[in-house]
Parts: sequence; C-alpha cells; structure tokens
Amino acid sequence: MTEITRDMLMAYADGQLEADQRLLVEAHLATNPEAAAEVALLQRQSDAIHTLFDPVVAEPVPARLRPRRIAAEASSRRLQSWRWAAAAVVLVGLGLGLGWFGRPLLSGAPPSQTLIADAVNAHTVFVAENRHAVEVPATDEDHLTAWLSNRLATPLGTPDLTGEGFTLVGGRLLPGQPDAGGRAAQLMYENTAKDRITVYVTAALPDRTPAYQFADAGGAEAFYWANSRITCTVVGSLPDDQMKAVSQAVYRQMTEGDVTAGQAYRG
Amino acid sequence: MDSFLDQVEACVPALRRYARALTRNLDLADDLVQDCLERAISRRGLFRPSGPVRAWLFTILLNLYRNSLRTARHQPSTVDFDSIAEPSTPAPQPGHLALAEMARAIDTLPLEQKEALLLVALEGLPYAEAAAILKIPQGTLMSRLGRARAALRLATGTPAEPHLRTVK
Repeated sequence: MTEITRDMLMAYADGQLEADQRLLVEAHLATNPEAAAEVALLQRQSDAIHTLFDPVVAEPVPARLRPRRIAAEASSRRLQSWRWAAAAVVLVGLGLGLGWFGRPLLSGAPPSQTLIADAVNAHTVFVAENRHAVEVPATDEDHLTAWLSNRLATPLGTPDLTGEGFTLVGGRLLPGQPDAGGRAAQLMYENTAKDRITVYVTAALPDRTPAYQFADAGGAEAFYWANSRITCTVVGSLPDDQMKAVSQAVYRQMTEGDVTAGQAYRG
Repeated sequence: MDSFLDQVEACVPALRRYARALTRNLDLADDLVQDCLERAISRRGLFRPSGPVRAWLFTILLNLYRNSLRTARHQPSTVDFDSIAEPSTPAPQPGHLALAEMARAIDTLPLEQKEALLLVALEGLPYAEAAAILKIPQGTLMSRLGRARAALRLATGTPAEPHLRTVK
C-alpha cells in the first residue's frame, strides 16, 4: 500500500490533489479513522477561515477600487503632468527668450558702447595690416559701395576726405550684433604720412534715435553718432584738431540729405 | 487593454478579502488594495501577458503589505477584533471552531505562515501558484502551511482526538 504522508492529507484537505491521488487518500481515510479526523480538522479550519472572511466578497466594491476609474484617473494625471511639463517648457522658453533679447537692457551697456568697442577693435586689427588691410581695394570703389550697401541693407557711400589729406584704401564687411545694427562695413583711409583712420558703419539701431558720442579708447579716439538710417564710428589716433576735422567731414557727407540727421557735430 | 482591466476587476473581491484577513482592518485593507491596483494599472506595460493576472496582483499586494509593515511597524494583532466589520456569522455550533478564537489564532501566526495559509485556505490558490507568489519552493510552502495548521490547532485548543470521535 502506498504510504500516505501528512502532506498528502493536507493537500487532500486543501483540494490540491489530482484524481488518482485523491482516490488513494480516500481509500486510506476509509480504513484509518485517525487520518480521517486529521483531514476533518484541517477542513474545519479552512471552513472557519472562509466563514470569517468570505463576507468581504459579498460587500459592494467601493468606487475607489474600480480598475476602470483608477485607469481613467491615471491617464488624466498623466495628461495633467504632460500639461505641466509643456507649460514649464513654454515658461523656460519665454524666460530664455526674454533674457536673451533683453540682454542689452539688462547688461547696462548701451548699444553705442558695443559699437564703439567693436569699431575700435576692428580698427586696431586692420590698420596694422599691410597687404590685407582691406577686402575690396579703393580701385574697385563702385563694387565696394554696392556690395556693402547690399550687405548692410542701407545705401552707403564712401566719404571723400581728400580735403583732410586722406584717401580711401578700401573696405571690408564685418560681423556685428543683431540687436546693435547688425553687420558692419569698415572703410579705411590713409594720408601721406601713412596715418590710417577707419569708418565703421552699421544699419540703424532698433530705436533709430539720434545720438552722438566721443570716446577715448586707449590710444585711439572714436567719434560715434547714430541717426534713423545708420550708425557710424570714426576711429583714429590723430591729433585732436585733425581728428575733429576728419570726423566732421565724414559726418557731413554721411548725413547729407538726411532730414532726420539732426544737428551737426560741433566738436 | 480592456480585457486586462476586466481581469483585474474580477480579482478585486478576492484581493479585498485577502487584504482584510491580513490586516483585520477595513480601511487599511482597502487602502492596500487601492495601492495595489494603482500600481498594477500604471505598470501594465511591464506585465508579461503570459503570466496570470491574479498571481501578479497578489504579489504586488503582498509586497506593499510587507513594506507597510516594515515602515510603519504596524502590528495587525493589536487591531481589536470588534473594530472589524461584523461578518454575518452563525453562532458557533457544536464541533465548529469558535470563530473569534480562530481569528485571534490567525493574527498571532508569523507573517510568513499567515500569508501562505490565507493564500491557500482562504483564496484557494493551487500550491504552485501560491509558492510562486511567495517566491518560495513548493516544499517550503507546504511546511509553512503545516506549521500554520498545527499552530491554529494548538491556539484554538482543539486537539484532534476528541473530534475524531464526533466527526464520523
């Protein structure tokens, strides 16, 4: 006869046995009252557990435990968090944008200061050059003025400074700040003593208001003005009188016909 | 997706019953089931469609329960039996175990025996499924069941012998 273990009795009581084993156990129980009592006790334990807790199953399920409701809430929470994420992205973008375009306002440096600094830098770099002082030489003046006028999107002539002893060497195009006039044209002039001055021109600033400024930039002097059409910075390291005369000549010729040019430079 | 929710829904009554038996507290039990359902539904993408939903849900529920015990040091045995909803129970009959006594006996079981016993005796899960949920070998499960049964027998003061005569 197969030995019936306590585990088998328990498995029988728990309804875990396959049909053939169940028959074996039942045959054993029929002739073994002790085993039968053991099984009966286990079954009474299970019955008691069911009696204790089965009523829970009959209780109505609270709404908060309905899977469909939970799924709907989860997806609306997901949507909500997407919305928050999107809002955050927009706000960060706005902040970056405001910060970026508000730079000139916040940095405290007016565009004129940027322009003068750029003009002086460009002056310092290119007046030291001999063979590559300019991109387009004065011999090609028509092309030079047409090209630079196009690139600056504002008509640009080359002032005649022969009265002050200076002749045009040529010019070049330079990068600039988009919020401070954009690209710049640099015109270079030279006198017989090989003194060089540069004229740094950009399109008008966004505010288009006239402005004048004279700056001493470490060895070089800069005369800056702005009107509704252009900004212009004359840079050189000439004696004061000469610098004044050259600046006035440039100013006069560059603002010719500009009704909005405002008052002339008086030194 | 909808069939998944249907399968989950079909398990809710059993999960509530099991949680109630574990915690002996209606609100705690339903909180546990709610946590379990939220977790299951939010992670359904990770669910292996081949495995049974029921076993997966019981696994999550048990993990949550064990975590709550670990963090809150919640002692289920301190919950007053009177505080749970009154099950519509008939008065103890001769030869029946006194139910209150049985409830207290279950409460005093070590957790590993209680969770095993309730999975099998209350939820009627096959040994293999219960062992998988508890992540133990089937032999270990059966020995825990055996010890739980023996402890219940002792605690309810019902020696096997006297009943032996009365049953048959």
